Amino acid sequence: MKNKLTHLSFLVQKINRQHIQLVFALLALAMLVLGAGAPETGGGIIGR
Amino acid sequence: MILLSAFLTGWLTGLAYARWQKRSYQIPKINCLWLAFVAFIPQLLAFYLPVTRAWIPDTPAAASLITSQALLLVFAWTNRRLAGMWLLIAGLALNLAVIIANGGWMPISPETAGHLVPAAVVQAMNIGSRFGYGKDVLLLPEGTHLGWLSDRFLLPEWFRYKVAFSFGDILVAIGIFWLLLRQGVPLRAILFR
Repeated sequence: MKNKLTHLSFLVQKINRQHIQLVFALLALAMLVLGAGAPETGGGIIGR
Repeated sequence: MILLSAFLTGWLTGLAYARWQKRSYQIPKINCLWLAFVAFIPQLLAFYLPVTRAWIPDTPAAASLITSQALLLVFAWTNRRLAGMWLLIAGLALNLAVIIANGGWMPISPETAGHLVPAAVVQAMNIGSRFGYGKDVLLLPEGTHLGWLSDRFLLPEWFRYKVAFSFGDILVAIGIFWLLLRQGVPLRAILFR
């Protein structure tokens, strides 16, 4: 149990501020791309 | 899906490039990060979430698309120093222009739509009606404003995945690929340092 806690604490320390900033930046860019583009897929018609 | 493919390809290529250069992958500071999230919410509700998109009428959905894309344009403009962002801005502006010119929707011709769904489905639809739950509206080419900017391109027949996309979408795809590959650093920053 103690080993697991130590391992978890080590993993948390590895996730630093830069990683979180990168994730948010990538998420924001993904939203920009999804929102900017308007490709129409064949699946869009289903259910309407 | 086609834009997310460009996103993933650019990111993975950028990761491999950074690894090859023995450094960590990072993107320069993005201004007004919150604006991208706020701008995307209207589209998330009107087009992506199955629970909400089913009960939002077409008129508010069209308005939300224009509002969302206008806000995303502001977000992109505030980050125009990033590599590839000018292509993204151009693609977004072209898509927004054709959407505004056609009543808040991206036009698609019955002929192009016939490649995405069975022809009988297209024939049963009225011209001017929304195409599924997406951002497109079925319009005849002669009734389409800025037709060259509409969803008129198709993937080759041998692709199992069927999708129609616009010239603006192509610019957006190239822009995000370049941005993630270059990690936001313009080439001139390297050439002229």
